[in-house]
Amino acid sequence: MDEIVQAHKAAVAGKRPVWLLWSLATIVLWGAWGLVSKVASDGASVYMNQLLYTAGLTPLLIFVAWTVGRQSQRDKTVSQRDETAIRRNRRKGAFWAFLTGILGGLGNIAFFVALGKGGEASIVAPVTALFPMVTVLLAVVFLRERLRWTQWTGLALAFAAIYLLSA
Amino acid sequence: MHVWLWFAILALVLWGITGVTQKLSTNSISSERSFLWFCWAMVALSVGVLVFVRPHDWGLRGVVVASAVAGGALNGMGAWTSFRALESGGKASVVISLISLYPLLTVGLAVVLLGERLTTTQLMGALLAIAAAILLSLETPPKAEA
Repeated sequence: MDEIVQAHKAAVAGKRPVWLLWSLATIVLWGAWGLVSKVASDGASVYMNQLLYTAGLTPLLIFVAWTVGRQSQRDKTVSQRDETAIRRNRRKGAFWAFLTGILGGLGNIAFFVALGKGGEASIVAPVTALFPMVTVLLAVVFLRERLRWTQWTGLALAFAAIYLLSA
Repeated sequence: MHVWLWFAILALVLWGITGVTQKLSTNSISSERSFLWFCWAMVALSVGVLVFVRPHDWGLRGVVVASAVAGGALNGMGAWTSFRALESGGKASVVISLISLYPLLTVGLAVVLLGERLTTTQLMGALLAIAAAILLSLETPPKAEA
C-alpha cells in the first residue's frame, strides 16, 4: 500500500512511476480481453477462436523474438564453458516455458468453451482469475513453499466465491 | 452446477499449473525468452488444431474475427506489460495484487457494453473472487528448511 501511496505522490509531483503505468496498462488490456473473448466465443467455435487468438498474438511474438535476438547478440562474449551451462539452462527453461504455453492454450480453450456455453463474461472472468489458488497449492506441494495467513484467507475466499458464483 | 462453470474451473486449474511451470522456466531463462517459448507453444497448439480438428467455420462475421484476434493481442500485450511492470521496479506483491483487479474492469465492461446482469449473490461472489485473487497473489516467504 505504501508503494501505491508513494506512486500517487510521485504522479501528483509530475514523476509517474513507470511500474504503476505498466500495471494499469495490464489491467486495461486483460480487462478488455475478457470482454472481447465473450463476443468472439458467441460467434466462433472454440477451435477457430484459438486460431484467431494465436493470430492476434503473432505480432507480439515477432517483436519479442527480435528483442531476444538482439539480446543474444550482446551475450555472445561468454567463454565456451559458460556457454555449455547457459545452453543447458536454456533447454530446461525452454521446456518449462513450452509446457506453460501448451497448458495456457488448453486453458484458453476451456475458457472459450465456458463463455460459449452460456457463461457470462462478468462471472467467468472472476472465476478464472482465481487460478493463483491452484498455483499456491502446487507451490506448497512441489516447490515446498510456505503459505502466509493472507494466502490461506485467499484460498477460503476463493472456495466461497466459486460457491456463490455457481448459485 | 452449470456446464460452463466446470469449464471455467478447468481453465482455472490449467492456468494455475502454468503459474508453477512459468516459475520453473524463469528460474533458468529470462522472462522474454520464456514468453517467446510460450508463444511458440501457442502456435504449435494452433497448428495442431488446424491439422487434427480442422475447424470449418471460416465464414465468420467481421466483429467476431476482430474480437478473437484482439483477444490474443490484448492477452499477450497484458502479459508483456505485466513483465515490464515487474522489471520497472514495482514490488511483485504490489504489482501482482494491483493487476489482479482486472476482472473488475471485465465485469464493468460486460455490464455496460454487453448488458449482462449479476444477481446479488453473483455480485458478492465476483467481489470475493477478486479479493481472493489479490490475497493469493501476495508474495510467499522463502522456501521452508528441508
